[in-house]
Amino acid sequence: MRVVDAKGVGKTFGTGSESVEALRDINLTIDPGEFISLIGPSGCGKSTLLRLVGDLTGPTSGELSINGKPASQARSNRDYGIVFQKATLLDWRTVKKNVELPLEIMDIEDSAAADEMLDLVQLGDFKEHYPWQLSGGMQQRVAIARALTFNPSLLLMDEPFGALDEMTREQMQQEVLRIWDETETTVVFVTHSIPEAVFLSTRIVVMSPRPGQISDVIETGLDHPRDVETRESPEYYRKVTEVREALRRQEGHG
Amino acid sequence: MAETDFASAFEGDVPVGTKTPSALRNRVQDWIPATVAFIAVIGVWEGAIRAFDIQAFVLPAPSVIIQRFVETSDVIWSAGLNTLIEAVGGLVLGTVLAVLVAAMTVRWAPVREGLMPFAIAANSVPIIALAPIANGMFSITSPVPKMVVVAIVVFFPVMVNTARGLIEVDSAELELMRSYAATPGEIMWRVRVPHALPYFFSALKVVSVLSIVFAIVAEYFGGPQDVLGQYILTKANLFVYPDAWAGILVASILGVALYALTLLSERLFMPWHVSFRASDAS
Repeated sequence: MRVVDAKGVGKTFGTGSESVEALRDINLTIDPGEFISLIGPSGCGKSTLLRLVGDLTGPTSGELSINGKPASQARSNRDYGIVFQKATLLDWRTVKKNVELPLEIMDIEDSAAADEMLDLVQLGDFKEHYPWQLSGGMQQRVAIARALTFNPSLLLMDEPFGALDEMTREQMQQEVLRIWDETETTVVFVTHSIPEAVFLSTRIVVMSPRPGQISDVIETGLDHPRDVETRESPEYYRKVTEVREALRRQEGHG
Repeated sequence: MAETDFASAFEGDVPVGTKTPSALRNRVQDWIPATVAFIAVIGVWEGAIRAFDIQAFVLPAPSVIIQRFVETSDVIWSAGLNTLIEAVGGLVLGTVLAVLVAAMTVRWAPVREGLMPFAIAANSVPIIALAPIANGMFSITSPVPKMVVVAIVVFFPVMVNTARGLIEVDSAELELMRSYAATPGEIMWRVRVPHALPYFFSALKVVSVLSIVFAIVAEYFGGPQDVLGQYILTKANLFVYPDAWAGILVASILGVALYALTLLSERLFMPWHVSFRASDAS
């Protein structure tokens, strides 16, 4: 069964002369275990597409099913975890309590889950800290642990490392790959960084703006596990170039 | 009044670290300037009165006030207790109602849209003008009319601040809760209420002091005699100013005590908050 199946999905914000067409005719299928990046310039609707998958907003046309169900049903079933650009931790909760938040809401009795997830993101020593005591990268790792603590089949990430410095960013990419490998979660990852998309993904969905459409889908085909050497390999550079050229071709249209 | 202290509650940078012994020493050091200033003012006051031979009906010396404060302690503390009961009764009544209404403004948008402009407008009504009317509406010999006046004073700032804290939640936090398919009740308890606590306590810090002030002013409009307002009024009318000042001293102590109690409960209820972090010396 497909994790994501979008058929002719469109999204228009507002009505009449004020309306903005954010997405047009999106056809996309994502299989279990894939790591998909959505990449494109600002205004290409990549975040909107992610939010449609998460049922944080609804499509105005087309059909979208998640795990074979309507997106709203998938959300009610807690099929996905989400990580935003901002860590969005609750200030009044300790790190551990933040990670346990979804468990509390979903009435899941699993006292070990939060600990396991915090070990997975290598923050086992910071359980009793408050969010303000952590660096930006650590906060984002807590957000990832929180998104995975209830074992969702799908992980949605909306430019999760956009606010981090380059060094931390590469570290986090490595960790996300490790976590993806260990948990066998399907990941949909929004980014505007070409190297990030190539390093992380199995497939890259290249989008073009006004209105947001899918212009190319590129298989990366790089071997796993990926590490620093992957970043220095000729295949990696070729893929980065391929994605860059796909993005550049759009400028000709616009 | 309603706007007091919102911003200041969230100002300041975000230091990394926890409380250390040196933080405790800093805290003691923080008190030194205020203590020195207080002693200096009392000293200048006492000195000026002796040096310029100022009469007691203009301004009595601190030493004289303290003397009367000790000699009349039975009477003034009994009056103080009655005033405190009015103030705290009104504070509790007003705060409970304010929080209930604030919670309703979040759950039902029409309540918010219908009520908030009215609440903000009503806040500019000179509430103390209601004191004589309140005396007529309820038994004048009971503390109830004073409690009602205090409750009205307390209600608006607490309601407006708390409602704002409940409503102005980061939209990403709401989306996160939506992604968990959380119910409105869960969003209320796990996100909105903790988020509103700093707003609520900013308002409470202001109105805890105001409650004593307005209880005393309401007492000036008549009622039982064994209360601070009547005591101060009577002594002033009899030109026994040191006694009136001793009554004012009791009122000040009560006001400070209520404020301190609010600060303490603020720390108990939100130990995580920015304003308590170690390097915050403001």
